[in-house]
Amino acid sequence: MRDRIGEIRSRGAELAIVGNGAQHFAAAFREDQKLDCPILIDTELCAYRAAGLRRGRVELLSPRLPRNALRALRAGYRQTSVQGDPWQLGGVFVIRPGGELAYRYVSREAGDHPPVDTILEALAEGAPAVAEEAPRGRLEAWLGKGLSALVDPTIVLSFDRTGFRIHSLAFRPEDLDVDLAGRRCLVTGANSGIGFETALALADLGADVVLLCRSAERGEEAARRIREQTGSRAVAVETLDVSSLASVRAAAARLAGAPVDVLVHNAGVLPSERVETPDGLELTWATHVVGPFLLTKLLLPALERSPGARVIWVSSGGMYTRRLNLDDPNWAWRAYDGVVAYAETKRAQVVLAELWARKLARSGVLVNAMHPGWADTPSVRSSISGFYRLTRAILRTPAEGADTVVWLAASEAARAHSGRFFFDREPRRTHLLPFTRESERDRKALWRLCERAAAEAQSAPAR
Amino acid sequence: MRAATKLSGIELPDWRGEVVRLGSLWEERPVVLVFIRHFG
Repeated sequence: MRDRIGEIRSRGAELAIVGNGAQHFAAAFREDQKLDCPILIDTELCAYRAAGLRRGRVELLSPRLPRNALRALRAGYRQTSVQGDPWQLGGVFVIRPGGELAYRYVSREAGDHPPVDTILEALAEGAPAVAEEAPRGRLEAWLGKGLSALVDPTIVLSFDRTGFRIHSLAFRPEDLDVDLAGRRCLVTGANSGIGFETALALADLGADVVLLCRSAERGEEAARRIREQTGSRAVAVETLDVSSLASVRAAAARLAGAPVDVLVHNAGVLPSERVETPDGLELTWATHVVGPFLLTKLLLPALERSPGARVIWVSSGGMYTRRLNLDDPNWAWRAYDGVVAYAETKRAQVVLAELWARKLARSGVLVNAMHPGWADTPSVRSSISGFYRLTRAILRTPAEGADTVVWLAASEAARAHSGRFFFDREPRRTHLLPFTRESERDRKALWRLCERAAAEAQSAPAR
Repeated sequence: MRAATKLSGIELPDWRGEVVRLGSLWEERPVVLVFIRHFG
């Protein structure tokens, strides 16, 4: 590309380079390559992500790698020391004034570069927009399925970022090539982590997004970032503490005036000590189960006004370790264990999703649960710091953790499902261990418990 | 078109540390925006 700068400029265009790594790397790169074009540094990879570029070890371990390396060597490229993120792949875009995308190339593996002549063709006067999307081949999909069968039983290599890379080989990019204009999507816990990435992705697909956050300040900051990154103006914030049933009622009253197309129960907590809410509920139980149950119930008329509305529960793989436990959901007489409380309530979410799906089957509202794998989120860092220290090198990004939520919310393919539990866009079993199965009686008891908790809190005096 | 909208508002430092808004690169002329794997 460096040797063809003159041809690019003779067509009235400029070359600009985005790399990652420290500023002195960029300066040295400019010096070594004798470049006089803009060279920008994206250490956080936000532009790479916005551009839809790939990142990961699996993409680099391609059978075409030797061929690509040889081709690059023949073209004069010489790899020096890696200065930046070694797993990030690149791409090329040609953008015209006004923002029209005239050309796009997303590298599929290391050494995968577009022919420069195709770029020059896109710069020709009057050239039609030529957008090349890196296609997902059948070989990749088969490879993904095959590798998935190997890694999924290991749990670690399935839940971590390697698992996402492998599973995503079988993803169909067209599933999220959708326009959600006019669709109203509510996301709880949306100011950070998976909730933020979910809201960001839905806004990027054109949806009207409402961030439901405990803190108005953090919610507004998140909304600002989403508007900036997507160009969307349809991003709003509503204050909601899902652990407070009064807050749920107030928020639902404000939100129920218009149809709701998507409701994502993402807000989560993992306290180390037992905390009781003003409603007299244990915090985890209130946040993950009773609050979302009540919110769903109160927004039901708004959901039913939208054909094919979707409710998504963001559960956790930790639920695989616990059975539905209704003996003491408020931890009134057990020695509190935050991790167990978390896993039990995440199990309850999966059961509730199934129960809601059954209840709403005739109304057309789809209800599913999912788990995001092991993702690097602020909650994981703060709540389970030991786990984070052990796994930080292999955790998924929050965007990867949010992918299946977005898929369930937006894709046509997800229309075929209700009452299922998903991981990386595939329906999965909800039990891996025999002792975690609940009875039908327990499932009905969960429903009654939620109804009663919500009703009692309404009638009881505030504590 | 969606990619350009997403990229337009992002601000990044250049090799001298000066902040550049990506959208400014194609305000007056087309740009060939190359994302490289890493410097080096």
